[in-house]
Amino acid sequence: MEIVVCIKPVPDAETRLRASADGTTLDPESVKFVVAGYDESAVEQALLLKESVPGSKVHVISYGPAPGTEEVLRQAIALGCDQASWIEAPSESISDPAATTRALAAAIGPIPHDLVLCGKQAGDDESGLVGGGLAELLGLPDFGCVVDLRWEAGTSRFRFQRATEAGQETWEAPTPLLVGLQQAWNDPRTAKLPAILRSRKATITKIAPPAPPVDAPKNLAERFELPAPRTGAKMIDYKTPEEAAQKLVKILREEAKVFP
Amino acid sequence: MTPTVLVIGELHDGRLAGVTAEAIGVARSLPGASLVGFVAGTGAKAAANEFGKYGVARAYALDDPRFDSAPLAARVPALKKVVDRESPAVVVVGGTTNGRELLARLASAANLAVATGVTEVTPVAGGLRIRRPVFGGRATETRQLTGARVGVATRPHAFPPAPETPGHCAVESPPNAEVPAAFLGAQRVTLSAAPSTGGPSLSDATIVVSGGRGVRSPENFHLIEELAASLGAAVGASRAVTDAGWRPTSFQVGQTGRAVSPQLYIAVGISGAIQHIVGMISSRVIVAINSDASAPIFRVADYGVVGDLFQIVPALTAEIRKVRGL
Repeated sequence: MEIVVCIKPVPDAETRLRASADGTTLDPESVKFVVAGYDESAVEQALLLKESVPGSKVHVISYGPAPGTEEVLRQAIALGCDQASWIEAPSESISDPAATTRALAAAIGPIPHDLVLCGKQAGDDESGLVGGGLAELLGLPDFGCVVDLRWEAGTSRFRFQRATEAGQETWEAPTPLLVGLQQAWNDPRTAKLPAILRSRKATITKIAPPAPPVDAPKNLAERFELPAPRTGAKMIDYKTPEEAAQKLVKILREEAKVFP
Repeated sequence: MTPTVLVIGELHDGRLAGVTAEAIGVARSLPGASLVGFVAGTGAKAAANEFGKYGVARAYALDDPRFDSAPLAARVPALKKVVDRESPAVVVVGGTTNGRELLARLASAANLAVATGVTEVTPVAGGLRIRRPVFGGRATETRQLTGARVGVATRPHAFPPAPETPGHCAVESPPNAEVPAAFLGAQRVTLSAAPSTGGPSLSDATIVVSGGRGVRSPENFHLIEELAASLGAAVGASRAVTDAGWRPTSFQVGQTGRAVSPQLYIAVGISGAIQHIVGMISSRVIVAINSDASAPIFRVADYGVVGDLFQIVPALTAEIRKVRGL
């Protein structure tokens, strides 16, 4: 099975965020980039399938700027992906999901792909737009928020669970398809040192991004704001649990006005 | 010329979902907009009539049971034909899991600049300015979407539902569109409604009460459920609780579970790990009840009670029942 997995470098969750000097976007110099959490699940899923379906290959691909992108691709190789491609993104377009979608579609279209995997959304902008948009351009059905993707050799179909607001769904689908994975349900593996060392020498194919169509609508970052630091909770003073309850309910009704 | 605004509706138990009413509210707030609706699935025709009471005078209904158990991709060709015919300047959808996925596909199919998780929408020349939380609510971004067509998926509960008005909706079928066979090969084989908490679902609730490790055992979780019931709230849980199997994973609020943004979030016996915080930080008002005064949850909460939850929570439930006359 030919598996393509799309990953995005995102700032480490522990990073302290800072706005860029002009205030329009995140300052990329302020952060350490890691594979987006949801994409980590996608890489793990790709490797699990490679292990269970003989003859499978995993091609990892990322649209992103230097710094960050090459590093996350090497991490994916260290984990066991067979081949890596880097679509070098001009820094001004990385936050436009349509640019990412077009670039990935142009790169994936010509290569074999029975299954395209990605995270259901990225951990930074949380747009969740690339999976569906990419599937539309590739002519594939797409499924987001998926857990427990399994290949059933007998029926040549995938079987998986999808969680939505309405409940838990079970699906069966033939290839080719695109699947967006829920985060961390499959306990992603960590790379071993010899593999990390080998990955530093691995070849990464560089691909130029396609030029944007002339009629492309614009999706521009104007401002990136960090909230004023929270001052901490207003603590309720009380002598008995009953007094605490009365004071809290009074505040919620009269000050916070969250119920009548 | 008045700009057309297309609202993509979602069915919930054969009716228009609450998020659709919120999306219509956003559409109506755009000056001079002429509104048109779209909804697909079994019972779409009947549900589309409901657009009328929210002030949408025309709607397309793709009333076909095939679309209930087919991938969302299958409804995109019809939706694309509607977009081609109506040429909407703006497309609005309620940002559920399915709403966002549908908008993502439509963005590629019909060349839209789009944004999801949107909490503010302001018209600008040739498009919209939007604001949306990013990084799990740790930052907010403002973007400008401009072009012939733009689209937004609203963050659930970020906008009030459109006020109801007496009104009629003219419902018609969308132009015929061929569905590629590749989209009909996949089938949803089962659908189990989210385990009932006896109250509203986590993502729909305007109040959420969540329990954490401090509850100590599954037998004590009824304290959380009773507090939630007194408020008509949904029940949530921290990852510690779902990992321990005290409650199913569908209850989990956080980075690896569900993100919620209710009017009121009450965290009981939850210390406030970052993975939990990102799932609830955009709630309007946060209350924390915890025995440890140094718990990080108190740094993100608006109001805090330091104390024994086994005493505070029953007292709080009783007080709420009293003031609500239950």
